[in-house]
Amino acid sequence: MNHFEVFGLAPVLELDVKALEQRHRALSLELHPDRLVAADAKARLSALEKTAALNDAFKVLKDPVRRAFYVLRLKGVDLESEGGAARAAMPMAFLEEVMERRERLEALKARGELAQARALADDVAREQQAALERAKAALTSDDVAEATHQLGRVRYYARFIEEVEAFEEEASS
Amino acid sequence: MKGFLQIHDPLKPKGHAVGIDLGTTNSLVAAVVSGTPGCLAADEGDARLLPSVVHYAQTGGVVVGARAVELLPQFPTDTIKSVKRFMGKSLGDVETKKLGAYRFVEGAGAVRFQVAGGQPVTPIEVSGEILRALKRRAEAHFAGKVEQAVITVPAYFDDAQRQATRDAGRLAGLEVLRLLNEPTAAALAYGLDKGVQGTYAVYDLGGGTFDVSILELVDGVFQVKSVGGDSALGGDDFDRAIAERALAAFSLDAPTPGEVARLLQLARAAKERLTDAEQTTLELDGRVFAFSRADFDGWIQPLLQKTGVAVRRALKDAGHQASDVKGVVLVGGSTRVPAVRTFVEALFGQRPLSDIDPDQVVALGAAIQADLLTNADRQDEVLLLDVIPLSLGLETMGGVVEKLIPRNSAIPIAQAQVFTTFQDAQTGMDVHVVQGERELVNDNRSLARFRLSGIPPMAAGMGRVQVTFSVDADGILSVKAKEQTTGVEQAITVKPTHGLSDEEVEQMLLDSIEHGEADIQRRLLVEQQVEAQRVLSDARKQLSENGDLLSPDERLAFEQGIAGLEALAASGTDHSTLKNAIHDLDERARPFVERIMNRAIAKAAVGHSIQSF
Repeated sequence: MNHFEVFGLAPVLELDVKALEQRHRALSLELHPDRLVAADAKARLSALEKTAALNDAFKVLKDPVRRAFYVLRLKGVDLESEGGAARAAMPMAFLEEVMERRERLEALKARGELAQARALADDVAREQQAALERAKAALTSDDVAEATHQLGRVRYYARFIEEVEAFEEEASS
Repeated sequence: MKGFLQIHDPLKPKGHAVGIDLGTTNSLVAAVVSGTPGCLAADEGDARLLPSVVHYAQTGGVVVGARAVELLPQFPTDTIKSVKRFMGKSLGDVETKKLGAYRFVEGAGAVRFQVAGGQPVTPIEVSGEILRALKRRAEAHFAGKVEQAVITVPAYFDDAQRQATRDAGRLAGLEVLRLLNEPTAAALAYGLDKGVQGTYAVYDLGGGTFDVSILELVDGVFQVKSVGGDSALGGDDFDRAIAERALAAFSLDAPTPGEVARLLQLARAAKERLTDAEQTTLELDGRVFAFSRADFDGWIQPLLQKTGVAVRRALKDAGHQASDVKGVVLVGGSTRVPAVRTFVEALFGQRPLSDIDPDQVVALGAAIQADLLTNADRQDEVLLLDVIPLSLGLETMGGVVEKLIPRNSAIPIAQAQVFTTFQDAQTGMDVHVVQGERELVNDNRSLARFRLSGIPPMAAGMGRVQVTFSVDADGILSVKAKEQTTGVEQAITVKPTHGLSDEEVEQMLLDSIEHGEADIQRRLLVEQQVEAQRVLSDARKQLSENGDLLSPDERLAFEQGIAGLEALAASGTDHSTLKNAIHDLDERARPFVERIMNRAIAKAAVGHSIQSF
């Protein structure tokens, strides 16, 4: 069963997260091993596996970025596994742009410039959102090559934002 | 790493299932009896809190609780307090050695304390002693076996700390039904009690840990949306803040471990007095340090600010603002500090709830969960859905972490990840699993390293190993791997970076079962030996200070009594003989004690009259 099927859904890029949460609650009530106090070990084990798969699916589908990657994966391209970057084959100009931003971030981190790092992350988040929208359009029109390229960008942007968040974490602890 | 798929056998008949709050400062055991949860009192007296203090005696025995607290100043390195702060830690962890003036045994793996009377002990064994004491209490209460427990842990405990707690439960002879997050337990106690719905925040400041959880309570589902906190921040730090100022005021540059231990106890008492008083003093060996509540509030502000950061992050992770929160639950003894209450009230813009005793609420919630997990009649009542507190990730090139399961994902959860070979004819690869939010591997908690081997030699990129990372409902990780081209399942031997291997735990368990019966006898004996030592040291002190009050005959008889008890205590006799001997000496001392009292009163009166003139 793929993640969408777990929730009884067709693969979609847009979905109502509130409704997904509600469905997650209902399915948890149905599947969770804690609801099978008197059942035998086999039934509980099966319930545990189903719940673990449900929660994995929930984690992916509730997040629009992970969801888009997953739709692409269903179309045969896995960008999230190790070596995913190579599969996206990002153009040189983009990689140089990323390198340059990264150098700026390193400099800000070295000086402890939290606010400026946040501003940089906000810029990147806007570009990430734009790339995600283009990726979704490409996925809708079944243009796998373009979707792969755009989600490749998203992947770099996401890593960049994570790095800023890790910096913020560090600064606040 | 324990098996993901270990499941208790529901058909095996069990005694009562209990809930245990294994706290930094105090621990409690609770159970649901006739539908109502309640904390169980100790066999003697009605104290419900068991101080989480364990004393290892010269004779090889163990004393837990209030009696161990009494022995702390005299035996600071043989008496382990706040052991929870050492759970899942190794000596290499930066903060570890600062946590107490113990005699640490150098080496890798779990922390080991050198204590009196035998082999070094790990925090797991020390916690096991506390759990064993609570198990005995519950068994005495029910006059029957107690073998299953829900044990609470700070929500912010990482994998190593959770495993250590589960191992401690096993050592104590308990089947750990669930490791339940403390704030979730508190919410359960409140929720079932008050029938609440909506978004709630739990602010849990204990002796050594701080946790915040944002929960949604909807239609019988308690769903944790996010957790945050600091597994090394609590009331102990408040005590330390006071003690540091006192040390400076006394110009004590190199205090002995004994002085530090006493000073911390005095600081704690002073802190507690400030809950009601505006001013207080702390007195150590005739030196006096006076301070006000306002001083204290100022000293702990930086600590409170740290909790504020964690609260704001948890709200953000849950997709909520402080104004969405319908109620704030206070948990943990440290929330009695007025400055903490003021801080929380300002943070959420509302007065927090505290109508259930903050010391008991976690144990009560744990008892409810234990009942829900063992009582088929109640399984439909409520379902708890919790999350993993810290992200799980893998080390990638350049020592950078790639997140695999992000923090606040619902658990249990299983995720598969495919690893491909990057060299021709590569037959193995190393996997390093870490936990935390930082970017670089070295800044996160290393959970496990393992090697995938036996991959058939193929061209680069062709060898594919699927590794499944599973986090169980206790928040503990396990790993299995499958080589995809051959379909061969791989058993992975994970070397725990912290804590004990399964084999070590098994061995300790076997040892403790073998010695089970002897243990009880020995424990009773140790208690009496400790008591004898206390009586003897009192008697000798009085004899040297007030010996002139006795006639030569009386003195001789008393000295003989002391020598007799001393010999008996050292002889390893049985506990009841020793108890009688202690009683005898007490009786013999009675006329002597009366004369000493009279002298003391006379002295006080003299002092008074001099002052009056």
